[in-house]
Amino acid sequence: MSSKQTNLLQGTLDLLILKALGTGELHGLGISRRIDQITRGTFIVKPGSLFPALHRMEEAGWLRSLWGDSENNRRAKFYHLTNAGRAQLDVETKEWQTIASAMAHALKATT
Amino acid sequence: MTSRIRNLFASLFRKQMVERELDRELQSYVAMVSDEKIAAGAAQPEARRQALAEFGGIEQVKQAVRDRRAGTRFEVIAHDVLYGVRQLRRNPGFTAAVILTLALAIGANTAIFSIVNALLLTRLPYQNPDRIGTIFWRIQGARPFEGANDIDGEQWELLRDNVSSVLGAVASSISSGVNLEAGRSVQYVHAGRVSAHYFDVLGIHPALGRSFTATEDRPHGPSVVILSDALWRTIFHADPHLIGQAIALKGEPYTVVGVLPAGARTPLNADLYTALEPSRQGEGSGANYAVILRLRDGVSWRQADAEINRVWTDRALRFAKEFRPGAKISFYTVPLQKGQTAELRPKALTLMLAAGFILLIACANLAGLTVVRMARRAAEIAMRLALGASRWRIQRQLWIENLLLACVGGAVGVGVGFVALRGLLSLLPPDYLPVSGVPLDERVLAFTLVASVLTSVLFGMLPALALGRIDLRSFLASRTVAGAERLRLRQALIAGEVALTVVLLASSGLLIRTLIHLQTLPPGFNPQGVMTAKASLDDARYRDPAAFDRLIRESTAAMERIPGVESAAVGLSLPYERALNDGMTLASGPMKGQQVMSGAAYVSPSYFATLQIPVLAGRAFTASDRRGAAQPVAIVNLSFVRKYFAGQNPIDRPLDTQDTLGTVIIGVVADVAVPPHTEQINDPLGSEPMTYIPAAQADPHFLAVIHVWFQPSWIVRTTRPVEGLTAQMQRALAGVDPGLPFSGFYSMTDHLAQTLATQRVEVALLGAMAGLALLLSAVGIFALVAHMVAQRTREIGIRIALGSTLRQAMVHVAAPGLRSSAAGLLCGLLLCLGALRALRSALYGVGIYDVPSLVGVVLLLVLITLLAAVIPTLRVAKTDPAATLREE
Repeated sequence: MSSKQTNLLQGTLDLLILKALGTGELHGLGISRRIDQITRGTFIVKPGSLFPALHRMEEAGWLRSLWGDSENNRRAKFYHLTNAGRAQLDVETKEWQTIASAMAHALKATT
Repeated sequence: MTSRIRNLFASLFRKQMVERELDRELQSYVAMVSDEKIAAGAAQPEARRQALAEFGGIEQVKQAVRDRRAGTRFEVIAHDVLYGVRQLRRNPGFTAAVILTLALAIGANTAIFSIVNALLLTRLPYQNPDRIGTIFWRIQGARPFEGANDIDGEQWELLRDNVSSVLGAVASSISSGVNLEAGRSVQYVHAGRVSAHYFDVLGIHPALGRSFTATEDRPHGPSVVILSDALWRTIFHADPHLIGQAIALKGEPYTVVGVLPAGARTPLNADLYTALEPSRQGEGSGANYAVILRLRDGVSWRQADAEINRVWTDRALRFAKEFRPGAKISFYTVPLQKGQTAELRPKALTLMLAAGFILLIACANLAGLTVVRMARRAAEIAMRLALGASRWRIQRQLWIENLLLACVGGAVGVGVGFVALRGLLSLLPPDYLPVSGVPLDERVLAFTLVASVLTSVLFGMLPALALGRIDLRSFLASRTVAGAERLRLRQALIAGEVALTVVLLASSGLLIRTLIHLQTLPPGFNPQGVMTAKASLDDARYRDPAAFDRLIRESTAAMERIPGVESAAVGLSLPYERALNDGMTLASGPMKGQQVMSGAAYVSPSYFATLQIPVLAGRAFTASDRRGAAQPVAIVNLSFVRKYFAGQNPIDRPLDTQDTLGTVIIGVVADVAVPPHTEQINDPLGSEPMTYIPAAQADPHFLAVIHVWFQPSWIVRTTRPVEGLTAQMQRALAGVDPGLPFSGFYSMTDHLAQTLATQRVEVALLGAMAGLALLLSAVGIFALVAHMVAQRTREIGIRIALGSTLRQAMVHVAAPGLRSSAAGLLCGLLLCLGALRALRSALYGVGIYDVPSLVGVVLLLVLITLLAAVIPTLRVAKTDPAATLREE
């Protein structure tokens, strides 16, 4: 796997997590399920990528976590966006839209 | 940022809590997934199994999270360091071998670098040392020369009066000892003779009083003296009222005008200083002044060079015309430090190179050891790789272990270096190095640190690279790592170190041969049973030739009365000692009218008999050869006759047209070994033309000048060892003059050792390095063969069981060590072809490609290789084939 692709995917994963948490707090599995749902099954996030990303983003100050009870009464760690996280979501959304529209335009032009 | 720092602390100090929390988080994830599965109809254990399988390894995920977390780096490194320490403690043999090797190599480097540092890198202890210089000259032409240049009175006056860009000062280039009356006794002290402004150039201001004035520095100026702080304290009890008072020096009153500050050093490093009073006459008629300069503000050295060359042009042209026809002479300034260390610099750098070789050899050994260790640890490493550790993590672990070893080895090395340095300095003759001390300062410590780290990088690199090639699956299957390749690598390392060892051995072999050659030169006299003593006659009382003559006659007669003394004599200089160099115009013989240089000495009548220098033709001096006799006489040596008389009989021929007395040659004596006093030869000892005159015939003017430079020697020959000889000699002298101390007593062996000090030091140092290299190489070969034996015990068992003899089995395991040593020997000999040329200037009486020393090197290396290879194979003899076959 080339590094460029990793960066793209990593960026994508961050954006998806931020987006998933945009509507409220979720635990790890919840985030995973929500991403599955909002991307209509295109991205399935495995724990091996999810947890490192969550911890990294928490460290970056975008997320904060609290222990709480899940819908099935399991103790779980719930993540929510901080103000910095919300700002980051805006920035990344804009960036992504720029890239996406540029890519779409470029692909159309070559045909 | 704050959250990052908080997390850092959280992970550093609440590590366990964070770990537990992570575990709980992941467990809850798995639980929730299996809840979902159960809800979908799966049985409980099956649901959990599936959830775990989908999760993909809890430990791996944890590790991935840990790797992401802040602070984890510190934690991991701390953990790695602890792990490394444990690993090293578990292998005490390996650890000790590495630390010992490092300590020896780093110690040798530290000691040598300390000297290089003190000589070449430490700033001179003067104000603005970069603005202090001296003058070198460059002779281009038939016999090119470049180097230090002592100047004569004419050059000094031109420099002093016409060069405005520098403040100059001169000192006598020959240091001398003088007699100082201190209370009731007379002491022999070291005196420097310096011009006005000498201390100004160095930036030293007397703590009491002042420096010499221009008036005091003129010929026949007032007798004044400046004391060093040490002398002022020890002899004059730090008397603050000493300035302006007279002290008795050289038999006459000298007024103290200044005392130098404590710790002030000059290039002369004398106990006291008198005014040089330079002029164009007497000693100033020859190049006898050493010059130092301070560049004035706002001027560059280049401008000073131009100015000096301009004012000295006429003088240089005359010199070239007279002594070096066709040569072009120019002058240039160099920093004083470079000027003072010009001769030692290449020697110090050669030693540094040799020390670098030692470090490389040590690296090769250590790399070999680490390769083996890596092989032993392959199982552990493969296990860690399998458990999810990254290659980088394992690499880092190995580097950390290497750095740990480097640090401990370096620290022990500094200790070894300190001890080695003290030993080395005690080996050097006093004042051999023109520096006050050789400190282990921060620069040396920094060097040691860099050397240790560099070593660890060098020896750690190979094994670390080898790690990249460990293939997990094939390793776990076969439990070996590319064996043949590793063996070849070790063999190459050993060949390399043997090659460097050969170069060092061959170099020291040549220096040893040189020293042997010099020490076994026919001395031309009988050095056995001779004791000598020196005294300073630079004394007002002995400017009168009658007093001088009486002193010599009566003191030698008194010494001859000592029981056991066969004869006694006095001479201006001795064999093995540099003689006065005197110019003369030959008055007879085939080279009549030519200006030549010859050694010159006055001697008492029994000089030749006492030293047992054979008289080859004519006669020796008698008591009647004295001033006022009808015929002034001289004796020359065989070299003089060969060189200036083409071997013809010189007896009864006049010697020198410049000599108004009309001295004739009355005898020819054999040559004695002396250091060169003319510039034609570079050998530290050899034969040079000499002329001898009777002490009783010496001219008062001549005596006054030469006694400033030379302290004559009293010589006694004993028939048997005499108890308390030196005390009896001192008493005999005191019987004639109670106020004349001997400055020291020396046997002829002492004189020889002093003359050959440089060679002895070179042999000792390079010999020690070569020995160290040989030891390290032997250890390398030993380790290789020992490892082969250990590794192949089973194979050997099979071989012996299949009918191989013990000898064949031993040869089989020793072969790789022997082969790599042989390859190293060949490479080393090839290297010698080029490398030994660098030694040319240090060799005397032996060629660069000296067969005996090369044969010696080869034999020594073969012997050591065999020993190192055979000793570990002895274990093969203990191998019980049945036992080894039963293993596994």
